[in-house]
Amino acid sequence: MPPLIPSDPLDLHADSRKTNKAHGNETSGKDIPNPILLEVFKNRFTSICEEMGVTLNRTAFSPNIKERRDFSCALFDANGAMIAQAAHIPVHLGSMPLSVKAAIDAVEFEQGDMVMLNDPYKGGTHLPDITIVAPVFDPESLSPAKPGAGKKIPRQNRPRFFVANRAHHADVGGMSAGSMPLSSSLFQEGVIIPPLKIVKKGQLDKDLMTLFLNNVRTPQEREGDFSAQIMANLTGIRRIRELVKKYSLPEVKRYATSLMDYSETITRKKIASIPDGVYEFEDRLDDDGKGTKDIHIHVILTIKGDGATLDFRHSHAQVTGSVNAVFSITLSAVIYVFRTLIKEDIPFNAGCFKPISLITKKGTIVDAVFPAAVAGGNVETSQRVVDTVLGALEKALPGQIPAAGQGTMNNLTVGGMDLRTHTPFAYYETLGGGMGATATNNGENAVHSHMTNTLNTPVEALEYSYPFLVTQYAIRKHSGGGGKFCGGDGMIREMRMLGPAEMTVLSERRIHPPHGIDGGKPGACGNNYIIRNGRKKIMPGKFHAQLKKGDTLGIETPGGGGYGRP
Amino acid sequence: MELIGVDTGGTFTDFIYRKEGKWGVFKQLSTPSNPAESVLSGISHITQSDNYKMVHGSTVATNAILERKGAVTALITNKGFEDVFAIGRQNRTELYNPQYRKPPLLVPSHLRFGVHCRTRSDGGVELAFDDASAAEVVEKIKQAKVDSIAVCFLFSFLNPHDEIKMEKALEALKISTSLSHKILAEFREYERTSTTVVNAYVSPIMKRYITHIIENIHGNELRIMQSNGGSISAATAMNESVRTILSGPAGGAVGAWETGKMAGVEKLISFDMGGTSTDVALIDGGLPLTFESAISDFPVKVPMIDIHTVGAGGGSLAFMDAGGALRVGPESSGADPGPICYGKGEQITVTDANLYLGRLVPEHFLGGHMTLDFQRLESYFDKMSRESGLDKKTLAEGILSVADTAMEKAIRVISVERGFDPSEFSLFSFGGAGGLHAVSLARLLNMPTVFVPQNPGILSAVGMLMADVIKDYSLTIMQKAQDMDHAMLEKQFEPLVEKGIEELLLEGIDKGRIHVEKFLDMRYKGQSYEIMVPFTTEYENSFHLLHEKSYGYSNPDKKMEIVNIRLRARGTPEKPIIDPEPHAGKIPPAKAFGEKRPVIFDGVPRETDLIHRKHLSHGNEITGPAIILEYTSTIVMPPDTFARVDQFGNLIIHTCKKGEK
Repeated sequence: MPPLIPSDPLDLHADSRKTNKAHGNETSGKDIPNPILLEVFKNRFTSICEEMGVTLNRTAFSPNIKERRDFSCALFDANGAMIAQAAHIPVHLGSMPLSVKAAIDAVEFEQGDMVMLNDPYKGGTHLPDITIVAPVFDPESLSPAKPGAGKKIPRQNRPRFFVANRAHHADVGGMSAGSMPLSSSLFQEGVIIPPLKIVKKGQLDKDLMTLFLNNVRTPQEREGDFSAQIMANLTGIRRIRELVKKYSLPEVKRYATSLMDYSETITRKKIASIPDGVYEFEDRLDDDGKGTKDIHIHVILTIKGDGATLDFRHSHAQVTGSVNAVFSITLSAVIYVFRTLIKEDIPFNAGCFKPISLITKKGTIVDAVFPAAVAGGNVETSQRVVDTVLGALEKALPGQIPAAGQGTMNNLTVGGMDLRTHTPFAYYETLGGGMGATATNNGENAVHSHMTNTLNTPVEALEYSYPFLVTQYAIRKHSGGGGKFCGGDGMIREMRMLGPAEMTVLSERRIHPPHGIDGGKPGACGNNYIIRNGRKKIMPGKFHAQLKKGDTLGIETPGGGGYGRP
Repeated sequence: MELIGVDTGGTFTDFIYRKEGKWGVFKQLSTPSNPAESVLSGISHITQSDNYKMVHGSTVATNAILERKGAVTALITNKGFEDVFAIGRQNRTELYNPQYRKPPLLVPSHLRFGVHCRTRSDGGVELAFDDASAAEVVEKIKQAKVDSIAVCFLFSFLNPHDEIKMEKALEALKISTSLSHKILAEFREYERTSTTVVNAYVSPIMKRYITHIIENIHGNELRIMQSNGGSISAATAMNESVRTILSGPAGGAVGAWETGKMAGVEKLISFDMGGTSTDVALIDGGLPLTFESAISDFPVKVPMIDIHTVGAGGGSLAFMDAGGALRVGPESSGADPGPICYGKGEQITVTDANLYLGRLVPEHFLGGHMTLDFQRLESYFDKMSRESGLDKKTLAEGILSVADTAMEKAIRVISVERGFDPSEFSLFSFGGAGGLHAVSLARLLNMPTVFVPQNPGILSAVGMLMADVIKDYSLTIMQKAQDMDHAMLEKQFEPLVEKGIEELLLEGIDKGRIHVEKFLDMRYKGQSYEIMVPFTTEYENSFHLLHEKSYGYSNPDKKMEIVNIRLRARGTPEKPIIDPEPHAGKIPPAKAFGEKRPVIFDGVPRETDLIHRKHLSHGNEITGPAIILEYTSTIVMPPDTFARVDQFGNLIIHTCKKGEK
């Protein structure tokens, strides 16, 4: 296949297009920022995001936020360009700026407003991830534009900055508890929220909140998490104002921009060290759980000077099942991969995106269009995009890129009635697996890789709360691919049901194993099974089943790929 | 009786002692290959008496883990759960490193063994303890030649019989054994296993060390500092060595609290800046505890004083990064090569920047025992000045302000992020480098005062001498709050109280000096984190209130769970008394003043007094700019500050001019 000329590269920053063309010397005409203030501001901006995160974590209600830390916080300039971000979960990396952009496009912000959204086709990723965006106005010009004064807001009354945070809510309605279903349309996945003002001039819109809460399974918990998200934004607003008061608005704006240049410079230097060329790779998803198999993801990576273009247009068309990824997921996965190449501790901001262009085709597995089902795109397809991009980069940087890791999150949901206490229960967990081997080391065993990093539920915590008995929790020996260096081993979790239960598994790498590199063997595929009356039945990668008392559910997660001939 | 506090640190071993009613301090180089050498030679330097009591904080257990020099340890678990210790919580500590590897495990896979047995979450037996499979494991362990064994079965805190059976089965091997229900009787198997393994891994090493000391101190009393802020007998420390991990910084926090309390200051943020790192702790009328500590990524869930550490210290290296920012740390010059001014280093450190600006006085460093090479700095500052485009003085002050930013962030983490306003606290500065940065740091956080105790360089040793004897106990009971009442809970506490009193009597504490403090770990049903609440008749209300304070909301209608009960048995031995000094007038004696020196503040050289702290007395006042010199540290008072010496010799620096607020 001939290399494609990027015809329609995504440009998140239209105003900076000029700087995209030059090779690193575009800042030569500007003032050189003071190296001391650059470092001081770097710390301050990052610590604002971290403090927002602490507020969110501290005041949130649900274990998903408190213990699994499935949330992110970020700061943006007046144009929606990201200044800094604190992400605990890499899958949020690239998608936050798109949320803010969608919010800016959709509403006229006034002082005291906050916008919420989760629509994957309007700035979101999948429905459980709800983002709340708030503007920061000058404290002196607090009076907003008069209502009905037309579209134009006087310049001094526009927001100077934005703050935003995103949290994964444990349930947003839809066809199954936990809102991570084996669905075939977005409408089955939960409440769809376009960018809407949830807070207007400092007042919560109670009608809107009531409507939302009536459509979810655990309204009290949701309400608690929402108020935590609002508090987090308030913290961010307060801290930015303190900063402006201490250093002046022009100074803060200047260093926000300098830090974008800073991250861009370092990212460009890294890309410039990659040999120029066109590198192609294809990997695939097993299936969508609804009959479509071998869903390929294809990338053509072009490195030219200090810029990179990734063309995904030859990827599979979007599918019926829920493994479709919206564009922002694909962007997150790509940005994650480039972030792993950079060893310096740089602020994650708009500058990191500038050297990188994505080309996708609407209606494909990596850029799905409404109303494709997307619940699993976030957790499974994002992992495969990472595998694909790393595969292409490996051709450019042989010896520096690890073999494929387990490439799935092994999502497990079990629900039903606990007969011991006569109360309903719902349990959601993701399982780690093997990491890929590298040119110098074995892969790590039984750990989450790439786009997620959430904690497990301890066996003792699980048995206190749910009607299961865990019968095995172990490293799955010899599941890592062989090689000069072996891939990491996956894990085995077996649980016996103490009562009837309903369960869903959404997993990958059950058919196509994680690849090895340079003669290294692929990791072992994962396995799902049910043992009933002593007989073991192998189940597919994505399935829904009714379990009886005494049934044992087993999940064996994939091993990582090996590196080099043994 | 004489008293001696001994704190072994990475570079120095510090001693504080009271002999014939007088206090004295002594400091000498540590002997890392055999830490006991410096401890014992220091003691014979201080006293020949055979009637003294010694409290010792040791890094032996901590270092055994950090350097992986602990005992060869085996781990016994339920069959099918041998890898719980290896899997951990299935997360990685470096998000953007696809080549991430966990630190090497303290027990490799071939030394992890499973036994057929299983207890359920109600304490009932699902699978009876299988003697044959236990015997098999015992035989394998015998072959493996290990020095220590950890045993951790699921739900052993509810039903310890299987662990006790296992201990019996292992008896003949005569190998030191740690049982999880004794070390940490709390749920969450990975954390309990990790704590038990850490204990097994360090106990034989600690036992050897303590035995060696005991043999050489002629029957005098030895107590060992724990990380919970209390001391324990040498015998207990040998079996529960995990409680001594990270005890050095705990000594400092106890020292800060006890010194502050004596001076009437009970809201403190302790700030201990050393060569490679800085420890901070928030003290609000009592020492803060945490149950979430880890060493080398291994959780250690015994209670510890809550201390936050950042990688910024006097030895932190300054450099220009690829994006043009001035960075400081976390890499450090360490003891070797050390800063440029120590004669060998090749990269500018925070210490070098302090010296360049005149804030360190070369001929008075460590009381003149060590000289600093000012001349050597010039060429390195020339080079970095060209690289950064900053003039040399701006560069040096820039290095300090970047270092201050990192430390400011650390203090924000323990204060602002937990709902405390630092401007209500005094910054309690100690450690070798603390005094150089304390005032500028306090100003960044709007803290009105800096508190510098006497002998700030050996405060940890002071804290060890002042520490109470403390033993902590806990037990997971996992009960619904609606099924329990105060009397039922009291009943649950009974065995813990009995054990606590009995063990403190064994520690040599008089019955009248023992008291027990009771706490509950509670949560709303469905939560996966707990809050510690004092156990009174009002414990349910206290929980709602504390939840509101910590997390911003409470929900009195929601069901609650009582997860753990906790008991703290405290023995308060007689403490050394420090007599207040009489007021000696505002003006310091003439001999306190050394020569004047130019010191750079905000780019401008200012004529600055050098003042010898040993000649200052109660009531003396000093106006900044001034540099206060003493044996173990240097204190910088920038312009527009003033300070006063209190009745115990503490220096209280106000971060504004006299008369201003």
